[in-house]
Amino acid sequence: MMSRMVKLGVTLMVVGIVAAFGLGITYAVTKKKIDQENKLAEAKASMTALPGIKSPAELVEDPKLLSAVNKKYPDVQKVLSSRIGDIFIMKTKGYGGPMELAVGVGNDGKVKGVSVISNRETMGLGSKVLAEENLAKYRGKSTSDQLVVGKDVQAVTGATITTRAVTSQAKEALAAFSQLRGTGQD
Amino acid sequence: MAAETEELVLPEPKTGTSGWQEFSKGFIKQNPLMVLMVGLCSSLAISNRVENGIFMGLAATFVLVCSNVIIASIRKWTPDQIRIPIFIVVIASFVTIVDLSMKAYFPAAYDRLGVWIPLIVVNCIILARAEGFAYKNTVFRSFMDGLGMGAGYTMLLLIMGTIRELLGTGKIVIFDKTFISLGAFNPPAIFVLFPGAFITFACLMALLNRYKMGKAE
Repeated sequence: MMSRMVKLGVTLMVVGIVAAFGLGITYAVTKKKIDQENKLAEAKASMTALPGIKSPAELVEDPKLLSAVNKKYPDVQKVLSSRIGDIFIMKTKGYGGPMELAVGVGNDGKVKGVSVISNRETMGLGSKVLAEENLAKYRGKSTSDQLVVGKDVQAVTGATITTRAVTSQAKEALAAFSQLRGTGQD
Repeated sequence: MAAETEELVLPEPKTGTSGWQEFSKGFIKQNPLMVLMVGLCSSLAISNRVENGIFMGLAATFVLVCSNVIIASIRKWTPDQIRIPIFIVVIASFVTIVDLSMKAYFPAAYDRLGVWIPLIVVNCIILARAEGFAYKNTVFRSFMDGLGMGAGYTMLLLIMGTIRELLGTGKIVIFDKTFISLGAFNPPAIFVLFPGAFITFACLMALLNRYKMGKAE
């Protein structure tokens, strides 16, 4: 009885060890590539969010700025600053799951662009909100705008939740910006 | 000692069917979705787009084939009492391999399929084939079975994806290329949403049953 239990246990352990070994190798092989892809997606989104930035090298990630705003605005994941403005990497929940956005705010305190890093919104509905033509409507918004869906932001039909998510992120990025830099200098 | 060896005696491998038959049964006769009705949950969720069907189908086929082959080849050393945990370890490992590789090499598709890739672990098709087929059959047969089941699954995802994407968005876009476009019309978005999945699946089921009834008469 005892020996049988031991035998079963050992068999299961061997299977587990072999599996863990295989997974370890896969993880080691793919990790670098996954990190690269994530960085690339972020860099691409940042450059669309703040037109004028030509390469990711112009952006400086500042953890001090992040910790200054992060308590009050927990959706802010990263603050990338440059000579023409700041980019806020935001993470929120959309309709279909987590959604990461980059919001670029120029030195004048106005939104220069919003772009999507990753999302799981429904294709054909939520995805329309994230299309470039639609995101363009956030350009020029500042803290003096209400940024409320149904008031100064028109929701995309059938995608109110996604619209709300994006709008709130733009608003939060602006608020974080004004906390860091004041209302902006013209 | 005798009792222990007795437990390891396996059922006789099925004979009389060729490898080709094991493969082809997955398409219509034993299609995992339409006939066995397993693995429906993820299929209904992701079949709103042809491209999703391609990736999900390939991922599931890979896991099916690999786990079938491994389980068939270790079936003689697998004690009956702990076969299920062993199957699950094998399946989960392959799913994690797919998950990581897809994240690394097809990040856009991975983003869209989201949680459904890791959830292949609990996809009934795979455990059902491991327990119901691979555990009792030779490596070659299990390979063919996995390939056939995977192909049948993929085929159905593609059919559903085509119908739903075309009706729901008015065009079919695969790898950023538009293949078919219905031109200017306002597509009913319900087809890319969950109700559309049920409607499409029910219609396909009805068609298949009609075909079967016609054959029986």
